Amino acid sequence: MTGGAGHLADRLRALLGPERLLDGNLARNLYAHDGSIVTGDCGMVALPETTEEVATCMAMAHAAGVEVTPRGSGTGLAGGAVPLEGGLVISLARMREMGEVDTANACVWVQPGVLNLDVSMAVEHLGLHYAPDPSSQAACSIGGNVGTNAGGPHCLAYGVTVQHVLGLELVRPDGQVVVLGGEAPDPPGFDLRGVVVGAEGTVGVVTRVLLRLTPLPPDVRTMLLDFMTVAEASATVQAIIAEGIIPAALEMMDRNMALAVEEFVHAGLPTDAAALLLVEVDGTRAEVDTATGIVEAVAHRHGVRTVRVARDEEERALLWKARKTAFGAVARVRPSYYLHDCVVPRTRLVEIMEAIGEITARERVICLNVFHAGDGNLHPIIALDRSDPDETERAMRAGDQIVRACIALGGTLSGEHGIGVEKREYMPLVFDSGDLEAQACVRRAFDPDGRMNPGKVLPTGTRCGEVGLADTQVPEGTWI
Amino acid sequence: MDLAPTTRDELAAMLQEASAHGRVLDIRGGGLHSRRGRPFTPDDTILTRGLSRVVDYVPDDMTITVEGGVTIAEILAAIGGHRQAWPQAPADPTATVGGVLAAAVSGRRRLRDGPVRDSLLEVVVATGDGRIIKGGGRTVKTVTGYDLPRLLTGSLGTLGVIVQATLRVWPVPMAEQWFTAHGDDGDMLAIAHGVLAGRHRPAAVILTPGAAHVCLTGVPDDMVAPPGMAEGSEPVAPMGPGTVQMGVPPAALPAVVRHLSLEARPFEAWLGTGICHVIAHDAADVTAVRDLATSHSGHAQVVDGDDALRADPFGPVPAGADIMRHLRSSFDPAGILCPGRFAAAAPVPA
Repeated sequence: MTGGAGHLADRLRALLGPERLLDGNLARNLYAHDGSIVTGDCGMVALPETTEEVATCMAMAHAAGVEVTPRGSGTGLAGGAVPLEGGLVISLARMREMGEVDTANACVWVQPGVLNLDVSMAVEHLGLHYAPDPSSQAACSIGGNVGTNAGGPHCLAYGVTVQHVLGLELVRPDGQVVVLGGEAPDPPGFDLRGVVVGAEGTVGVVTRVLLRLTPLPPDVRTMLLDFMTVAEASATVQAIIAEGIIPAALEMMDRNMALAVEEFVHAGLPTDAAALLLVEVDGTRAEVDTATGIVEAVAHRHGVRTVRVARDEEERALLWKARKTAFGAVARVRPSYYLHDCVVPRTRLVEIMEAIGEITARERVICLNVFHAGDGNLHPIIALDRSDPDETERAMRAGDQIVRACIALGGTLSGEHGIGVEKREYMPLVFDSGDLEAQACVRRAFDPDGRMNPGKVLPTGTRCGEVGLADTQVPEGTWI
Repeated sequence: MDLAPTTRDELAAMLQEASAHGRVLDIRGGGLHSRRGRPFTPDDTILTRGLSRVVDYVPDDMTITVEGGVTIAEILAAIGGHRQAWPQAPADPTATVGGVLAAAVSGRRRLRDGPVRDSLLEVVVATGDGRIIKGGGRTVKTVTGYDLPRLLTGSLGTLGVIVQATLRVWPVPMAEQWFTAHGDDGDMLAIAHGVLAGRHRPAAVILTPGAAHVCLTGVPDDMVAPPGMAEGSEPVAPMGPGTVQMGVPPAALPAVVRHLSLEARPFEAWLGTGICHVIAHDAADVTAVRDLATSHSGHAQVVDGDDALRADPFGPVPAGADIMRHLRSSFDPAGILCPGRFAAAAPVPA
């Protein structure tokens, strides 16, 4: 450890105590990973419990010139929480307090370490829920969700994290604390809140989040549709939405995935079908009845084999369990997996599913598909054994080709997992150097020294350039 | 002088020229939202209506890509035949996409459909020094890079000229109906409260002096008049020399409405959202309305008015103003785009 960092460790230990400043080998190895396959290099880990402690940690790191990587639960799949060059990891896992629910304004302030699912569970008795519901919601934290602008099945109708974050408290790279947004809508000035959400920890550390809570729908219906071809299922997805129905969720699972899931969830998934659609509609009873009728009619026009409507909450929960535990079920096939979360325009679903099939067959890898079909957000999961270098190599090659196929069809790199380390070198596929330079300028406006989560989001070598090095002269009395 | 580019390259050249010579520019689309921020004197005005192409529309993807000078009427003409709409936008047919986004003007159905910033997927902007920058992505969901679309939305022309926007559009609801009731404010608030607490997610619950207006969207069977209301129409926006937009926590809006009624100020309050538009005749009105907003943990900005009304258009300097200034310097290094618009009467912190 270099002198500056060593000195910082001593100061942080004095602040937090030895049990909340970890720099032993075990911790450093542990925190050099997240849910992705990226391995980094962690210098030390701080576990603050209050905003003030985070601010002090940040001020100390600023004084020492040490890089900082914020971390939530570490479930991210793009390497966003992996420190790359030593430095300080600030884990928000101990900041798990939830404020009093403001029922009149339907919102609640929470600390970033609060788990996603715990929010909905805590407000259910008030008839409310927190709408973004990533599959990892039992493990992932609100802070991490804010970092990646997380999604989930129900984002099709309800929107992603940024649409549910009314305000946030940000500890800036120099330790200053600022509150952006709040209960009152549309504050004057630029929407900095909107920029912080999805910035993957590169603009500061979020220490409190004001979440918008959404009323539970008065009625909900969940359907499982099965098809003998992926093309029919894909066409059904497109046709449902073309009919003017935006379901609350519209998920697809292919046969490989259904087989793996059914083995341990026992949800009665038809494992001989080529593709399953999980469709949920909600609203008033009349809205639900109407939407259900349309979904069934469309599905029959496109060759659905059976339509199973969940009879009760228990069956509905079982179907959702099958969907949300899918990633874990991959372990029954191979010990590890590798995936991208590209998005394609919904009208290109049939083509991309065919392309994924061809690519994975050519590379001789096992691919399981389970994804947010309604918004075109793919999750082709390539099962692999990382102790097999040849298989790992083929999996990487297949992943690369899938990304390029998505972009060629007018898609984008990530729908909800973020860019992290994993996809940063793909950024030039969707942005030119001027676009990336502008993004680097946005980042620098928050973090002039470039110490926040370096090496993430933007490809190596991207700089803000010479523009705007000095602040533009603004007329007297103006703030922008 | 008016400058009327018809292509992004022409626009970029004009901006480079203006930056090189330090010529101050105003930007104008439909001209509906131009009277915002502190007044300034431009050397030239960029008219964006010449950027008028519908670039791409895939009905089944429910996305449309248009140039910044395209009007709301033109968008509706393109998508209406497919029974699609842009429900987050205001209803002004002559407003341009660029203007609506730059001023972050949301429509009356915000309660159900959300604010306009949620509908912008990809943006192409010409910076003050004439660079063409793209941010976001054309798919309905993306977290690919920093959120330039949200940064540009509401930037009032100070970061760049919106050249092109990809919008998420939505199906036209199968049914839509406005309901109205008239009476004293206490009764109207009670009716509104009942609708907000009901099972239906209303698209709009709006109070104006002596009236309540509710918009329901959904399926025909649900188009039932809420208790105390009858089929009616959308409210007529209050008219006056100036308009102040208040933003308060939604639960504070009933108290704000009662206060405005006592003072006999014309208003349009969007219950459930915390937004309220209030007519202002002079600077004293602006101050009074802002004080009312502040006393309810909110804020108030002048969204329309002559120069005198816009002496202090935003109130106190918001948190993070230095970050905003850094952003401005990167996107408009010569400081030629609408300088002075984001002004505060109070001293500005360094």
